[in-house]
Amino acid sequence: MRRDRAPLSRLQALALSAAAFLLLVVAVMALGPLLAGSGWWWLCAATAAAVLFGGAGLRAIRVPASLVPVGELGILLAVLTLFFGGTSSLLLFVPTAETFGVFGELLGGAQRTIAQQSVPAVVVPALAFALALGTGLLAVLADVLVLSLRLPALAAAPAMVPILVPGFLIEAGAEVGTLVLTAAAFLLLLRIDVRVRRRAALAHRDDDEVRITAPRRMPVGSTVLPTVGLAAAGLLAASVLTAATPSVSSSLLLGTGGQGALFARGVSPFLDLGRDLRRPDAVPAFSYVARDGDRPYFRLLTIDRFDGEVWGPGDRRIDGDNTVAEFPTPTGLGNEVARSQHPIDVTVQQLRTTWLPLPYPVSSVEGLDGSWFWDRGALTVRSADSDTSGQQYRATMLEVDPTAEQLRASGDRIPESIQEFTELPEDVPESVRELAAELGARGGTAYDRAVAIQEYLRGKDFTYSVEAPVEEGYDGGGLDVIAEFLEQREGYCVHFASTMAVLARELGIPSRISVGYTAGTPTTKRVENVSVVQVDSQDLHAWPELYFQGVGWVPFEPTPGRGTVPDYSRPGASETAPTPELVPGTPAPSPGARPDLDPERQLSGGQTAATTDDPVLWPLVTLVLLLILLLPAAARIWLRRVRVRRIRRDDRGADAAWREAMATASDLGYPAGSADALTPREAAEALLEEVGGLDDRARDALNALRDSVERARYGPPGTAAPASETALVDLVTALRAGSPVTARWRARLLPVSLLDTARAGRRAAARA
Amino acid sequence: MPASTRRQPRTVPRLTRRGAALVVIGVVLAAVSLWFDLRDVLLLAFVAIAMPVVGLGYAALRMPRLGVTRAFAPATVAAGGSTRVRLTVQNRSRRPFDGARWRDEAPSPLLVPAEEVLPGVGPWERALPSGDDTVRLDYLLRTPRRGAYPIGPLQLSLGDPFGLAVMRRAVGGERELLVTPRVTAIDGALARTAAVDGTRHSLQRRMQPNSDELIAREYRYGDPLRRVNWAATARRGELMVREEEQRGDPEARLFLDTVPSRRGDEAHRGDAPDFEFELAVEAAASLGVHLLERGYRVRLQPLEEGAPGRGEYREPGGGASLLLDDLARLPTPGTWRRRDRNDDRGRREDGSSPGRLTAARERRAPMPGFAVLVRPSDERLAELAALRAAFAPAVAVVLPTVAERWIETLEHADWRIVRIRRAADLTTAFGARPMTTGAAAARETGWAEFLAGERDAP
Repeated sequence: MRRDRAPLSRLQALALSAAAFLLLVVAVMALGPLLAGSGWWWLCAATAAAVLFGGAGLRAIRVPASLVPVGELGILLAVLTLFFGGTSSLLLFVPTAETFGVFGELLGGAQRTIAQQSVPAVVVPALAFALALGTGLLAVLADVLVLSLRLPALAAAPAMVPILVPGFLIEAGAEVGTLVLTAAAFLLLLRIDVRVRRRAALAHRDDDEVRITAPRRMPVGSTVLPTVGLAAAGLLAASVLTAATPSVSSSLLLGTGGQGALFARGVSPFLDLGRDLRRPDAVPAFSYVARDGDRPYFRLLTIDRFDGEVWGPGDRRIDGDNTVAEFPTPTGLGNEVARSQHPIDVTVQQLRTTWLPLPYPVSSVEGLDGSWFWDRGALTVRSADSDTSGQQYRATMLEVDPTAEQLRASGDRIPESIQEFTELPEDVPESVRELAAELGARGGTAYDRAVAIQEYLRGKDFTYSVEAPVEEGYDGGGLDVIAEFLEQREGYCVHFASTMAVLARELGIPSRISVGYTAGTPTTKRVENVSVVQVDSQDLHAWPELYFQGVGWVPFEPTPGRGTVPDYSRPGASETAPTPELVPGTPAPSPGARPDLDPERQLSGGQTAATTDDPVLWPLVTLVLLLILLLPAAARIWLRRVRVRRIRRDDRGADAAWREAMATASDLGYPAGSADALTPREAAEALLEEVGGLDDRARDALNALRDSVERARYGPPGTAAPASETALVDLVTALRAGSPVTARWRARLLPVSLLDTARAGRRAAARA
Repeated sequence: MPASTRRQPRTVPRLTRRGAALVVIGVVLAAVSLWFDLRDVLLLAFVAIAMPVVGLGYAALRMPRLGVTRAFAPATVAAGGSTRVRLTVQNRSRRPFDGARWRDEAPSPLLVPAEEVLPGVGPWERALPSGDDTVRLDYLLRTPRRGAYPIGPLQLSLGDPFGLAVMRRAVGGERELLVTPRVTAIDGALARTAAVDGTRHSLQRRMQPNSDELIAREYRYGDPLRRVNWAATARRGELMVREEEQRGDPEARLFLDTVPSRRGDEAHRGDAPDFEFELAVEAAASLGVHLLERGYRVRLQPLEEGAPGRGEYREPGGGASLLLDDLARLPTPGTWRRRDRNDDRGRREDGSSPGRLTAARERRAPMPGFAVLVRPSDERLAELAALRAAFAPAVAVVLPTVAERWIETLEHADWRIVRIRRAADLTTAFGARPMTTGAAAARETGWAEFLAGERDAP
């Protein structure tokens, strides 16, 4: 029945390649919302074009079909070498061993950058490499499906890959326009395939049995209207259906969903911070040497968005121009504030995150590996393609030393760009409002009010406790938690910091929360006569920063018994030196006790390897594996159904029945079934001998099947007797019954006969 | 075979493999997108589901208006041969017609080619036909078995532009193709006919009823001596020969055994042909054509039920082709019986049953009689044996299925037995000269000459 495998002309193959190319590049456009710029798309398009049209070229020079994918992989390799091999390649295209090393590094970098960048990501070279490689492989797959196997409908699979990705990373998923275009490109591919098939079938007719005399002028555009109309109708129907389908939230089904983001979707570091603080064993995070005796707080990230429940970092994207070699002047810092520069050498130990622990503010950072960029507002430093592990760097800290007078002088004026840091949700609890009003009534200027808040929180009513909030069930930083905390008056840095931030915002002072480390503990180790300060996971801390015009962001320390209270924030006093209040508060740190612990993994919002502990993933992987394992069985069942249908329709039914019987025998482990060289009669005898004895019914069935296949194969045409399905059923039942259980299961799950069928198919193809 | 038993085209559109695959992909995608709450992919999932459905609708609504004419070349074909079926498909619609595949329809033993692409045709050109609205299809149809087969109607698979759904529709009508039984040329004693002049010519001449058969002519060199008309010679004083013998309207009888197969094998139920009967029909056809070519009027008579058409044939007048036509339509006895049992039973009781075999023209000299026997019943055999006297020669063409005792019965009645196993045996079976002696040998010679058309039946 299937005669439509007529060989394609070069032009027809090229048309299919072009359609596949179009589908692929349109599908890759779906990644647009995830990535910055458009250069990556051109790169992907160039790679796909090289692979697909290179493949078309290989076919045009009559390279054997089985070698074309190999050739395409070679082309892909050459293209990647051209774009990414740099100096390691020979003659720009030929990769060397060194090139593969470069590729390996790029792949590693790509993994990191995928794990670390947030949306939209800057396309660093590593990411570009991954995109080009992925597109190239998809192009090879598409080419195999469309042109080698001639199953263009399955080209949907490679095209779906780039389309599925955005859905997992951003809420909106791929853009509707891109989706519609992709569907249209897919339909175009199908249409071109149908046309090409028809043309090829008409053109390629070497037998004389059927002669088809087409009109001299075939209608050209007659199918355009129905094609477009049908495509439009299908797309419209799909749109309506999509709009009408209610959303089944994944959280309803699975409890948690969307946590396995590759790019950060949202971070709630507070709870994780608390968890790290509650750890019995401290894990060393990093150590530093400050020549000038500085003991700054090290900040990882700032959290400035508050939606009532969760504090989250601002989702400003990485700007490729903000390299760490030079930092801008901190926001709002006036010239009159005293400042000095102090170098600090940091050696990161067991800290693995994309945020760099740095004092605030800094003027430059040197010695980092990878691409690191500062964020415009908060001056936090993030990496696009690497992380902190093993980094050694020198940060030049800009020590700002405002006086209380300067702070007081800043007044209540807030510039427009800072307004967002005073935003609060509508539903601030009444108790918080009242408290803010009460504290606000005490002081005059904004600074005075801020000091009043800090003083209030550091008062004797409040107790530092890492455990209490968890036991009482109000852990976190949401508004309800704050209200509860103000009742209970027990909590840790998260509660103090968020409470102060909320109270400050309530009083009109811009505030944000910094998450990072306190100054750490000096050790006995000395480098160039300066003692090394060790910071570990117990030093994790969160503190509020308030904004004062003319001074900028100023840290406060509302948490009692933790860290250092800045001079300027002490009520009424600015003379005394800073008094470190180091409160270990927990058992002594024992570094190395849990070397595999990754203290910052949770802190960084599940960005590094959160995919592995995603509860969705494992059942899914198991399911996929199970499906793959069941694939042979499914193929076998499908084959059987095809054959039974052929028997019923009497479409070479005798042959089908015999093949099915022999395949069953082969599955059950009787070699006679797969002995292709035997005639049906010999095979039947061999089978009888191997089985060792069949009951009469089965033997009759075997003979009947054998006779009918002999008649069909060797008899004159038109004399074939229809094969009996019951005979087949009888024989198969008898064969099954005569086999041990293990053989039966093996026959079901790993049917050997599939190999025979595939081999026979290949031979038939070779003959054709 | 009546059209009612044949497969009717399905009137429901169905999905192609591609369409079904797309639906499966769509359902899987929809499940994935709902599970992970990917609203964006849901659109594509629904596209994958909707397109095949839309395609189904489109395929179901396509109503081609086509004119189909079908011709066979040659129009009648012998079993085992082939004919070319010529189809002309003309678009009768104002819009072009494209995107269809065709396949002709033929009953079981005939093999039509697999589905092929139907090229697109332009709109109907009523005014100035340039042929762009017409496509010509031409395929070789092999005809393994005799019979009258309805060919057609043309089955079109109408698809949607994306190849997702397909709808079968029948266009045009059907036309009967007659597959006649194969005729094997019988050699007889053809080697000796060269010595006999004008046999065929004279035989044809004497078919004309009013020809003067008694005119004698002068002897010419080469005339056989037995043609010398001694009376005329005596009258004229020179050697005269008979222009023609006094034989008008020679007739031959042909009995065909139509006893249904008694084999009750389950395996051979259904469409499987009755090979022995087919061979018998072939032998009867070969004998009949041979006799007709030699100027005999042939009466064909079935031994059992089932009258093949006219019964009597003569040449000229298309007798041979009529005989072949009738034999082509002759149903296989079993199927005939099964099918017509109900209405036939009454008819046979009316007395139109074959009844006893009789020699029709006893008053005349014995005429040649041939019986092709497959598995005759005892009573028919006895009747045949009894009729021996009316026939000369009396030849029984016997298939291997005939039991030895029946052959003996016939031999005792002095029927000549010709055993054939396959049709090719016919060529030489009559030429073979079994080692016989005496009267039998004389008879052999005689009928060999008869077969060659050389002389009357001995």
